[in-house]
Amino acid sequence: MEFLPQIYFGVFAVLSLLCALTLLFTRHPINGAMGLIGLMISLSGIYAVLHAPFMAVLQVLVYASAIAMLLVFVIMILNAAKDRETLRFGPLGIILLVVPALLAALLTHTYRGASLSFSEAAIRGTAHNTGAMLFGPTGYVLLFEAIALVLMVAVVGAVLLAKHDLDSSHKEKKA
Amino acid sequence: MTSISAMGVQFLALFLFCIGLAVTVTRRNMFFILMGVEVMLNAANLSFVGFSRTFDGVPSMEGLTVPVFVIALAAAEACVGLAMLIVVFRTRESLDSDTYSRMKE
Repeated sequence: MEFLPQIYFGVFAVLSLLCALTLLFTRHPINGAMGLIGLMISLSGIYAVLHAPFMAVLQVLVYASAIAMLLVFVIMILNAAKDRETLRFGPLGIILLVVPALLAALLTHTYRGASLSFSEAAIRGTAHNTGAMLFGPTGYVLLFEAIALVLMVAVVGAVLLAKHDLDSSHKEKKA
Repeated sequence: MTSISAMGVQFLALFLFCIGLAVTVTRRNMFFILMGVEVMLNAANLSFVGFSRTFDGVPSMEGLTVPVFVIALAAAEACVGLAMLIVVFRTRESLDSDTYSRMKE
C-alpha cells in the first residue's frame, strides 16, 4: 500500500503525456479535443493523489466538462470546414518544433539535481480550506470579485460577437 | 504522498508545458492553437499545486487558490476565443491560421 500513490502518479503521468502527444500529432480537431479531455481527467487524478481534492473536482467540473463541451460543440458547428485540406504543420513548423524540445532539454538538465520534497504538514486542499483561504483576512476577496467581472465581460463579449453575426445573416435574408 | 517525488511533478508540468507550446507554435489549425494554450495553462496549474504541497501549514493553501483563478480565466478565454473563431470562420471559410493575415495587406 505504500507504493500505491506512486503507481497512481506514474499511470496518470504517462496517460497525460500520451494525451498531450495525441494533441500534437492528430489531424482532425475532434481527436485533439478527446486528447485534451483525457489530459484534463488524468491531471485531475494527479491532483487527487497530491491531496488537493477540491482542485481535482474543479478540474473535472470546469475543464473536462464545461470548456471541453464548448470546444467539442464549436468543432461540430464548424464541421463544414475543410479539415482535410488544412496542413498539420506549416513549412516552418517542423523547425519551430525544435524550440520547445530545446527548452525542455535545457530545463531538465538544469533542475536534474534539485532537491525538493513534499511536506507532511501541508494542509489538505478541501473545499472548506480553499474557501477559508479565499475569503480569509489575508485572502483574495478583491481578486475574486475581479474574476467575477472578467467572466461577466467575457460572456457579454461572446454574446455580442454572436449577435452581430446573427444580425448580419438576418439582413442578408431580407435583402 | 511522500512516496511521490516532488521534482517528478515539476518535470511532468515542464513536459506538458513544452508540448502545449509546441502545439501552439507549430500547428496550423486554429482549434489546435486554442487547445495548446489550454494545455499550457493546465501545466502551470499542475506546477502551482506541486509547489504548494512542499510548504507547511497555511502557506500550503496559497498555491491551491491561484489555480482557481487560472481556471476561471481559462474559461473566459475559451468562451471569447471560440466566439471569435466562429465569427472569423464565417468570413474566411477556413480554419488555417495562415489565411487570417488581412492585416498584412
